Amino acid sequence: MVKRLMILTLVVVLMASVVGCAKPAEPPADTGDASAPKFDGELLLGVMVPVTGSEATYGKDMENAIKIAVEEINAAGGLLGKEVKLTLGDDGCDPQMGSAAASKLVSAEVKAVLGGYCSGATIPTLKIYGDAKVPFVIIAANSTKIIEENPGWAFMINSPGYHQANAAADCHEKLGTTKLALVHQGDGFSEDLATLTKKEWESRGKQVVGFDVVNKGEQDFSSLVTKIKSSGAEGVYWTAYHADGALLIKQLRQGGFTGNIVVADGSSSVQLLEIAGQAGEGVYCTSPPVVDFLPAAKEFISKYTAAYNQQPGPYSGLAYDGTHLLADAIKRAGSTDPDAIRSALEDTKDFKTLSGTITFTPEKVLEKSNFISIKGVGGKWVLAE
Amino acid sequence: MSFREIIIQQLFNGLLLGSFYGLVALGYSMVYGIIKLLNFAHADIYMVGGFCSLSLLAFFGGTFFGNGWLGIIAAMLITMIIVGLLGVLIERIAYRPLRDAPRLSLLITALGVSMILYNSVMVITGGEYKAYKTGLGFEGFSLGSVHVTYTQAILIVAAVSLMFVLHLFITRTMYGKAMRAISMDLDCCRLMGVNVNKIIALTFFVGSALAASAGMMAGVYYGSLHFFMGFVIGIKAFTSAVIGGIGVIPGAMLGGVLLGLLESFGTQIPFIGSEWKDVFSFSILILILIFKPTGLLGKKESERM
Repeated sequence: MVKRLMILTLVVVLMASVVGCAKPAEPPADTGDASAPKFDGELLLGVMVPVTGSEATYGKDMENAIKIAVEEINAAGGLLGKEVKLTLGDDGCDPQMGSAAASKLVSAEVKAVLGGYCSGATIPTLKIYGDAKVPFVIIAANSTKIIEENPGWAFMINSPGYHQANAAADCHEKLGTTKLALVHQGDGFSEDLATLTKKEWESRGKQVVGFDVVNKGEQDFSSLVTKIKSSGAEGVYWTAYHADGALLIKQLRQGGFTGNIVVADGSSSVQLLEIAGQAGEGVYCTSPPVVDFLPAAKEFISKYTAAYNQQPGPYSGLAYDGTHLLADAIKRAGSTDPDAIRSALEDTKDFKTLSGTITFTPEKVLEKSNFISIKGVGGKWVLAE
Repeated sequence: MSFREIIIQQLFNGLLLGSFYGLVALGYSMVYGIIKLLNFAHADIYMVGGFCSLSLLAFFGGTFFGNGWLGIIAAMLITMIIVGLLGVLIERIAYRPLRDAPRLSLLITALGVSMILYNSVMVITGGEYKAYKTGLGFEGFSLGSVHVTYTQAILIVAAVSLMFVLHLFITRTMYGKAMRAISMDLDCCRLMGVNVNKIIALTFFVGSALAASAGMMAGVYYGSLHFFMGFVIGIKAFTSAVIGGIGVIPGAMLGGVLLGLLESFGTQIPFIGSEWKDVFSFSILILILIFKPTGLLGKKESERM
């Protein structure tokens, strides 16, 4: 009897909840506001950046900038009459998380994807987007492996590794280095860049006296510092990320190394100078176009600081540029058909952005390098002459 | 740098690295010795010690202590007490109720505690690297091209003195005697009137305080903290404890210094280089364990019934 009563109660409760759900939950959307642009549906774009893990700072900087660009696009009437919406996939700067994020975005049926910070996390997603025919504008990741593995749907708006290898060699040459030691972290991006720089440096008739790796997460580099010092190196080029780069710089100076230190774009965070303290003075960095040094970016910076109460990060400008580039391509394509968007992106010619103009080569990389040299002075990065 | 200078410098690098490993390894070894638990949370205690001292140091920055050596010593003492108590708390909440449970349950609990600790710190710090700012500079002394900063020298001295004090504590006091007795036979000690719970809590206090001091020293020396910083050093400290003979106090110190030296020289050896230094040092460690399975100073232990 008790059992029957319980079942009965359960059935009643269930029915009540079903009826409850069937009722319209919300009143129809407010139509009184005439000033807001009217949209004919939504256009969903994916954002794939790391928002957790050691590179989370950069990922959030990029996401913030993309949001600003999307607000501008929507304020100007959206795309193809539709309101642009974003959905986030967190790649965590990790290949496995990256693949999961890409699959999530693809199954959410995004029309195109913006993002890609760590090359290691970006490379395995190329095939996923390619198979699903989703155009992918890669904002920051710039390993040459991306070019090799690109099935034709990814467009890199940051200069690839070999552009940076030239910039690094130029920077060290200017500083008077002849014997160079390279240090990387064994991941896709940093090893790639170290190898390219080695080739470039040797092709200029100079000597590479060290090619070393440090393990991610390790803190003690003192034995490596001793090795670099004993190799007679006059300059060091660190090709990996800022958290460990700061430790290396600090320990190089603590260990009495007085040569030139140059770091790659993964280390262009102010946090590097903060952690390195006095050791960060006079360290050079081959950097992508940081908005702080771009005259065209004044308006963007003030919008960004007003919205997020902080300065834009090193890749915020590129993220903003990439969003507008994609919007322009979708407009020119005149539809959300993936093939049309892709060929519109391919046809991009001298598209004006904060950091210069964008024209793609047949490999879908930038035609011209966009690297600049910056220098640590008083705990801040300033443009080096 | 001449060959001799390289050797001296790497010897010094290895000693400093090894004393960090040793300090953390002591905690693994003591806890294993007394309740046969691989305390996975120990590496995270090290990390918590780093962050705890950073907050204290930031607090001292504007006061009489400052963030020079005086502030650092004060912060270290307070950190050791706070984190030591955290260790006691963990033992009381997570391990004591399971003391008679199968070893595997205890092991899983330890993993759980580890995750709770580092995830909490991740949430609090936003998962970002934190700069560890002190008033210390890079001044030091040079012998030829061997360069040693005062900070490095003082840290080695501090680590070695802590180990020495611990050694005295274990060998010369009643509490130390009780710890050694419990590690031999817990039930027998209880029958003899030893307050077993108190001594185990004390073991956790001492082990955690030592790990916290190592965490703080790492912060002072390397200049940055991260919620996952315990992972790598945890593995290496645990290895040190096993190599020295787990459960044997001087073994943990010896193992730590040995591993530190192997890593330093592994980096320098031609054709092996930095890429293979872990392979090099761990291969030697495997060789040691093949020939001496109980570790360098470990004694053969017959299975207790």
